[in-house]
Amino acid sequence: MSVTGERSWTGRVREHAVAALPPEKLLPDKQPSYVASWIYVFGVLSLASLAVIIGSGTILTLKGPQWWHFTGVGHFFNSLHLWSVELFFFFMVIHLWGKYWMAAWRGGRARVWVTGAITFLVAIPCALTGYVSQQNFDAQWISTQAKDAMNSAGIGAFFNLTNFGQMYSFHVLLLPAAVVAIVVAHILLVRKHGVVPPLEWREMAAKARSPERTESSP
Amino acid sequence: MAAIFNLNHPAHTVHWHFFQMSVSNIVVIVLMLAVFVIAILAPFPGHRQGGGGS
Repeated sequence: MSVTGERSWTGRVREHAVAALPPEKLLPDKQPSYVASWIYVFGVLSLASLAVIIGSGTILTLKGPQWWHFTGVGHFFNSLHLWSVELFFFFMVIHLWGKYWMAAWRGGRARVWVTGAITFLVAIPCALTGYVSQQNFDAQWISTQAKDAMNSAGIGAFFNLTNFGQMYSFHVLLLPAAVVAIVVAHILLVRKHGVVPPLEWREMAAKARSPERTESSP
Repeated sequence: MAAIFNLNHPAHTVHWHFFQMSVSNIVVIVLMLAVFVIAILAPFPGHRQGGGGS
């Protein structure tokens, strides 16, 4: 607080953040009983594979291409990075299927769904720029073929797949930063709104069978 | 590099009208569907069947 008694912007941000996410909501130690199902595990599995992607990717960046091509340990970390990406998409898509079929946008959770969808859409070019950065003949083929796709979409001048420097930079910095930022927003929103309760099929079926209809119902 | 399976050949693909996909890709998709169904149906440790919400 300043001498005049006015709150600074940091104070306002802090109060707003604590009001939206008090510590017991940010780091809960309890969960609803309906979360006791394996389908709820795929979110955290996606997160865990993302952590391995970022970790192995960081080590690959630090050590450089000669290490990951020409040493055994480097080759192992290269493979770790690839397979953690495969698992990330495997788990994330199953997480998406679960959330779609349980209509997880209910109860004011539209932004949770939207941030999840955007994460998926941003992760795809993040993975594809990785494929283009492999520095092998496969990557060369992908870049020359996909260049046609980008040109046909009209963005070839801005997103040049045969420009290795641009593709590698997108893959190492820009797109992972975007994925992580959106995932953080996604998780904070899940913490704020809580896990969506399951659809109440029995009640919905009973209502549909009921002959009584209110005036407001269609 | 030694591999258990020969990896140095083009992928076996399935062609059906416009649909074209490698067998390995189809296997992964089938596996994902199977894992999804199992995740919903498999009992969770400590969960009481028919238990109510908090």
